[in-house]
Amino acid sequence: MAVRSIEVRERIMATYDALAANVRSRLGDHGVPAFNLVSSPGSGKTSLLERTLERLGPELRVAIITGDVRTQNDADRLARVTDDLVQAVVTGGACHLDARQVLTALDAIDLPRTDLVFIENVGNLVCPASWDLGETAKVVIFSVTEGEDKPLKYPKMFRVAKYAVLNKIDLLPHVPFDLELAVRYACQTNPELRFFRTSALTGAGVDEWCTFLRHQVYTPVVQ
Amino acid sequence: MHEMSIALEVGRMAERQLGRAQIPLVVAVGLDVGDDAGVEFAALEFCMEAVLTTPPFTGARPVITRCTGDTLRLTYLEVDDGRPID
Repeated sequence: MAVRSIEVRERIMATYDALAANVRSRLGDHGVPAFNLVSSPGSGKTSLLERTLERLGPELRVAIITGDVRTQNDADRLARVTDDLVQAVVTGGACHLDARQVLTALDAIDLPRTDLVFIENVGNLVCPASWDLGETAKVVIFSVTEGEDKPLKYPKMFRVAKYAVLNKIDLLPHVPFDLELAVRYACQTNPELRFFRTSALTGAGVDEWCTFLRHQVYTPVVQ
Repeated sequence: MHEMSIALEVGRMAERQLGRAQIPLVVAVGLDVGDDAGVEFAALEFCMEAVLTTPPFTGARPVITRCTGDTLRLTYLEVDDGRPID
């Protein structure tokens, strides 16, 4: 029998890219910025969101989509500090959220009455870097307990992120972490990164972070 | 492990291609995968083998070609269309 070759040459992610474009379009129609928070597990994404909601909750309508492999613990925590919608996506083993899940979550969010969306991705510095969720920007969070060389070890995540939050800075006196070296490594990977330094525990730096978010809501970046 | 998501998507893409061409048997599935694609090669190969178990893919082998950058592409399908060799 004759074996022949059919040339295809199609991008495997094309379907997901189309879904991400759909998410981006829906958010854009209502002028709602969406930030995809990505990090390793335990960097303080949920804690930072708690502090953020405490500050912004009284003035902005903030919807949140959380992703976890198991449990809705993060969504439950966040629901305690906001009256707005917190959507939990349990991935059942998958190491990242994808645009299809975000699109489904958006169905439950009243976008005309929403100012800002956060997507708290599954804790993982590898896989979420490869998946466009239709977000305005990825925000990579890494904490001072993780080591300065995270940007060198996980360059793709730092390359695709637009913003970086160095969290748990209250622990700096207690851990051998060189903040400037961490920033230098991150800038080597992505010179365009904008940094925030926060402590979700003490609230240090959270005001600057929230000022940035307010600016994004009132003067959203044209995509 | 998102390699399984990718493998399943490859299966869907291949089915779409074959739906047009009415092919009875696939022999090989060729993929280009970049070093920076966020994919673990052995894991993707394992997942592809798991996906290529039902007709017309039964017995088809994944052929993963490593390349640079973040390329992630279904490049070709090698098929046996049942016709005699010319």
